[in-house]
Amino acid sequence: MIQLLLVPAALLIALVFGIPLLRYSWLSFHADSVLTGLVAIPNHGANWLRLLHDQRFWQDTYQTARFATVSVSLELLLAIAIALLLDQRWRGRGVVRAISLLPWALPTTVMALGWRWIFNTPYGPIEQFTELIGLQPLNILSNPNITWLATVVGDVWKTTPFAALILLAGLQTIPNDLYEAFHLEGGHPRAALFQITLPLLQPYLLLSLLFRLAQAFGVFDLIQVMTGGGPAGSTESLALYAYLNAMRFLDFGYSATVMISGFLLLVIACLIAWLIIKQTSHWREALK
Amino acid sequence: MIRQRNLWITLLLLWSLAPLLWQLYTSFCTHEALLQPLAEHNQRWTLDNYRQVLTANPPFWRYLLNSVIVGISSTGLTLLIAIPAAYSLSKVSQNVASAARLILLGAALFPYVLLFVALLELARSFNLGNNLLALSFPYAGLSMPLAVLLLLSAFRDLPSELEEAARLEGFDLWQRLRWVLIPLIGPATASTAILVFLFSWNEYPIALTWISRADLLTLPVAIARIAGSSVYSIPYGAYAAATVLGALPLLLLVLIFQRQIVSGLTQGAIKG
Repeated sequence: MIQLLLVPAALLIALVFGIPLLRYSWLSFHADSVLTGLVAIPNHGANWLRLLHDQRFWQDTYQTARFATVSVSLELLLAIAIALLLDQRWRGRGVVRAISLLPWALPTTVMALGWRWIFNTPYGPIEQFTELIGLQPLNILSNPNITWLATVVGDVWKTTPFAALILLAGLQTIPNDLYEAFHLEGGHPRAALFQITLPLLQPYLLLSLLFRLAQAFGVFDLIQVMTGGGPAGSTESLALYAYLNAMRFLDFGYSATVMISGFLLLVIACLIAWLIIKQTSHWREALK
Repeated sequence: MIRQRNLWITLLLLWSLAPLLWQLYTSFCTHEALLQPLAEHNQRWTLDNYRQVLTANPPFWRYLLNSVIVGISSTGLTLLIAIPAAYSLSKVSQNVASAARLILLGAALFPYVLLFVALLELARSFNLGNNLLALSFPYAGLSMPLAVLLLLSAFRDLPSELEEAARLEGFDLWQRLRWVLIPLIGPATASTAILVFLFSWNEYPIALTWISRADLLTLPVAIARIAGSSVYSIPYGAYAAATVLGALPLLLLVLIFQRQIVSGLTQGAIKG
């Protein structure tokens, strides 16, 4: 009887998560575009064959992986530092914590527009500064080699607070006695970071790593508003490519194929990250 | 030591606030002052950017109102479904509950952006496009995993004697939930509500594809549309005014509800 209370939630989750995934899997084996009059016709894996030879798909995969790796690594490093800072006791800590949360709470599109202005050439503050000290303009948003770094800055700014909070929660579960004992045995405070804090923080690091990796892999809002995928497609992410396939090229079959392969690549990325973390903890065991 | 810490605190504040303060500064600048910031100007400061944004058609507050409607209806729907579900999961056997939590965690981690094309198809087949309240369905569905996880851990923290006592008093299931259990999980409910509200307020890809009528756009989509509207001129003063107006409600929300937000996120981390 009580189990009946689960039904609405289960139905809604199935409708929002389950049906789309099934629908994509099915669509990825069908041609469904303007050419077929938006009617799904089985095409025996032609979408997947096309994907294998699609330069743009692999370019976007590379870009998404590069973006996710660099921004998630930076975020975690910064988040550890911020969490350690916020874990100490000092006056005004609550206010600072609230302020540092602000970037996370704002809609992504709002600050994506803000970043476009900050990185603007020649009127944004950064280019004004380079001009002031007599450098050539950087053309941040129109140079395909560096634009993606600007999107990394936007992402790190927005999502670090979230990771910092998760890690802060982890820090607060570590009993103070451990540090006192370490201190009494003559351990250096800095060594405590590597021998107590980080090892005990590992589950929280893993959780924020997985969560952030998944979100960074699906990056969409930031890229679409900040660069539109440009210049020269250099910042286009897989999610944006799937979006363009569906909404601009009206090719739903291929869009579904891109979505599903994005999901598969994410699973692989998570496995790799998990293996690396497991390996490093083995090394740490071995070093002890 | 303390001086070093103050340095880090200053850096953290700068990093968090500088991009926002730059928007604030930009929003009050005249066009000429933006193009030549270092030159002398007769008039450097102006309210024109705000006037422009607030008198546009539709005016900017319309988008704020739309986002409030979507946020409140999604939060209400989520809690309505998630509270009974979490209660029910706190009563089932350990194995079932563990399996359910694993599924919920996986769904909560899932990058939902990948779902929006199929969700758009659902909207088309049920004729849910251009309807603010209809957005609550995907939003409630996408927030459901996190909401159930948070509320489940709150229900499990309650001592079982409480409910037992209420049962002996002759309370039926509905009365026990209404008068005993739901008041006791108030803090967790508040945390969940604010997180769901923030998600619905900020959500972009689904709102972008489900809503096309200009007067129904939610704030994130309206902002993005402003961004896409004129590529060649530089109306950044007006952009900045729009971002400041869009950021203000959230600034208030974060300052008022920071404790709930923090405990929601951290509970999710510790117990999820």
